[in-house]
Amino acid sequence: MAVLTAPRKETREHTGHRPPARKRATRVPPVVLAFVLVPLLAEAFWVFWPALQGFYLAFTKWDGVSAPEFIGLGNFREMFGDAVFRTAALDTVIWLLLFGGLSAALGLGAALLLQQERRGVGFYRAALFLPVVFSLVATALVWQAMYQPDGLINKTLEAVGLSGLTHAWLADQDTALYAVIVPALWRQIGYVMVLYLAGLKGIDPVLYEAAKVDGATRWQQFRHITLPQLSSVNAVVLSVIVIDSLRSFDVVWALTRGGPYHSSELLSTYMYSTAFQSLRLGYGSALAVVIFLLAFGVIASYLVRAFREADA
Amino acid sequence: MNTTAKSRRTFLAGAAAVGAAAVTSGCVASSSSGGKGSSGGAVTLQSNLSAPQAKSAMKEVVDAFNKKGGATGSLNTVASETFRTQLPTYLTSANPPDLYTWYPGSVAESYAKKDLLLDVSDIWQKPELAGYSDAQKKLCTDSAGKKVFVPTTYYWWGVFYRKSHFAKWGVKEPKTWDEFLDLCDKLKSKGVAPIGLGAGGNTPWVASSWFDYLNIRINGAAYHRDLLAGKHRFDDPEVRKVFDRWSEALPYFDPNSTALPFQDATTALLQGRTGMMLIGTFFADATPKEQLGDIDFFRFPVIDPKVPLAEEAPTDGYFASARTGRKDETKELLRYLATAEAQEIYLKGSSGTSLPTHPDAKDSGTPLVIKGRKLIESAADITQFFNRDSSDALAPTADTALTRFLAKPKEIGSILTTWQRDAQKIWSQ
Repeated sequence: MAVLTAPRKETREHTGHRPPARKRATRVPPVVLAFVLVPLLAEAFWVFWPALQGFYLAFTKWDGVSAPEFIGLGNFREMFGDAVFRTAALDTVIWLLLFGGLSAALGLGAALLLQQERRGVGFYRAALFLPVVFSLVATALVWQAMYQPDGLINKTLEAVGLSGLTHAWLADQDTALYAVIVPALWRQIGYVMVLYLAGLKGIDPVLYEAAKVDGATRWQQFRHITLPQLSSVNAVVLSVIVIDSLRSFDVVWALTRGGPYHSSELLSTYMYSTAFQSLRLGYGSALAVVIFLLAFGVIASYLVRAFREADA
Repeated sequence: MNTTAKSRRTFLAGAAAVGAAAVTSGCVASSSSGGKGSSGGAVTLQSNLSAPQAKSAMKEVVDAFNKKGGATGSLNTVASETFRTQLPTYLTSANPPDLYTWYPGSVAESYAKKDLLLDVSDIWQKPELAGYSDAQKKLCTDSAGKKVFVPTTYYWWGVFYRKSHFAKWGVKEPKTWDEFLDLCDKLKSKGVAPIGLGAGGNTPWVASSWFDYLNIRINGAAYHRDLLAGKHRFDDPEVRKVFDRWSEALPYFDPNSTALPFQDATTALLQGRTGMMLIGTFFADATPKEQLGDIDFFRFPVIDPKVPLAEEAPTDGYFASARTGRKDETKELLRYLATAEAQEIYLKGSSGTSLPTHPDAKDSGTPLVIKGRKLIESAADITQFFNRDSSDALAPTADTALTRFLAKPKEIGSILTTWQRDAQKIWSQ
């Protein structure tokens, strides 16, 4: 804003009409106002308004065609007795722990491994980051081909004499969820790695030098310098992971559609299939509200704790 | 510096103008959705026929219509699954596409009841549709007595196989359920997976064909329709009988039945990895044309000779949005689509395995099509398909129940209880 106001001031100086200093400092040029208001208007129209409507729809029964019928908390009550909702919620927790935990751990591991400037390190960084560039649906299609009964994974298992392990990976309720997590993880690790790499670059090397002088081991350096210094990045990573976990949809939808018989169902896929396949848009909206509250709850509680720790 | 500042300001102002224009145009687009659809211009034909052969055939039909002069049409092909999930949105928006490929019967009825479909009763008085059969007339009429649909093609379901493979394996078409199980035994002994399915990937609905056929062979077409309309329960003993029979055939299903989509299962059939497959003729749209001559089918075997032989023969065609702003133009295109000429153009361009609804339109005349026509004409009753005889919303409940049965046949009791509960939620909508 400072940059934008500067030329205006200069012009006024030329004309000789110099407004009082206080007023000049608070006046916002119309272009800047437009830049704030126009996106806000667009956001309000296309994001906030539909979101509010979604909250309203959660209290209705609606088939997407007739007028919605208000049923109060009926949809939320139904969730308590809905076995598929319980499966989806449980799968979402598993997804959050496995996908979230592993992508944070492996992303940090990759960042630690690739943080030092060595020969060829750029290649490995690029290779790990590459899956982030691909669309998740394209990624899923590649993995779908690999998971096929006569796909690369089963062929490889047969070639190394492990034909007993071959499987219809995506069609078996015992393996579907885990088979879907792998491509999601494959993509997420590179993203988390980049966040951690940036965090690692921000740590003052003097701290390590001092620790070395004190005779600290590598583990002690990691435990007492790297981890505490990364706490701000951890907040970002956690938020990203929680949001990504709860909104994970495309990869599951492209690979299994939550099947076979709901075994890889996440709250997000259940919400979509309930709303747009079974055309129960009221119940679907109620599920969306639950997802929103979960994401908001987890992130807000973490941030509150993080701020408290920072204040202490 | 002044120039730079000025040019920057100009740029920023320009950018803001573009942004504002985008918003305004968005508002305009959305506010126009508050009124009636626009009139004039080409009729938009929203098509879900996205297989390459069907898509190009549709384009030829629309091109031929445009060459005639008068109203014009513009084809918009959308992937089938997207089309299905978006259809309620299309129809309820105030500025909808004008014309849609879809199905008659209970699927169209559910939209007609809500006044979303254009009344095309007057078209049915025109010469193009004069010769259509009474069955077709009935199928295209809603419960209020209005005609809301124009049928153009229909096709049949059957157990398809390759003649050369059956000859090589020394087996023949079965007529009864026992003969069918014998055939499966023979194929299995030759190292072939007897029955291909293709209920994996994005096509779990294919499994419904087995449910439909077993039900119409055991309990009859009338019971089947009533069941899908919510007049019987999925956990009734009659439905249980369907799964008892299915269990007899289950050991002969390809182990990859629920791992492959029907397109891949078709490849397995053509390559002789599976022996036969219960499928509709649409599978041929993805089959190399030179292999079509080697393909044959037999009627789904008779289980109870006392039950009249019904067949699944879904009809395809078009309905139009009640909110179209181009009523006359849309009806003109619909009339053209109902002509023998348009239907022949479509059949020539596509795989040609479906049958035209116009009595004067020539089908492709292949032995396969002649046999298919005979099958439908000799049927005691005709059903459409699970989602068409029930609703698009009920179909996912069948997908879940049937794929679960294929994996865990012993859990049939709980599968049927769950199915009934899920279906109840849809019926009570």
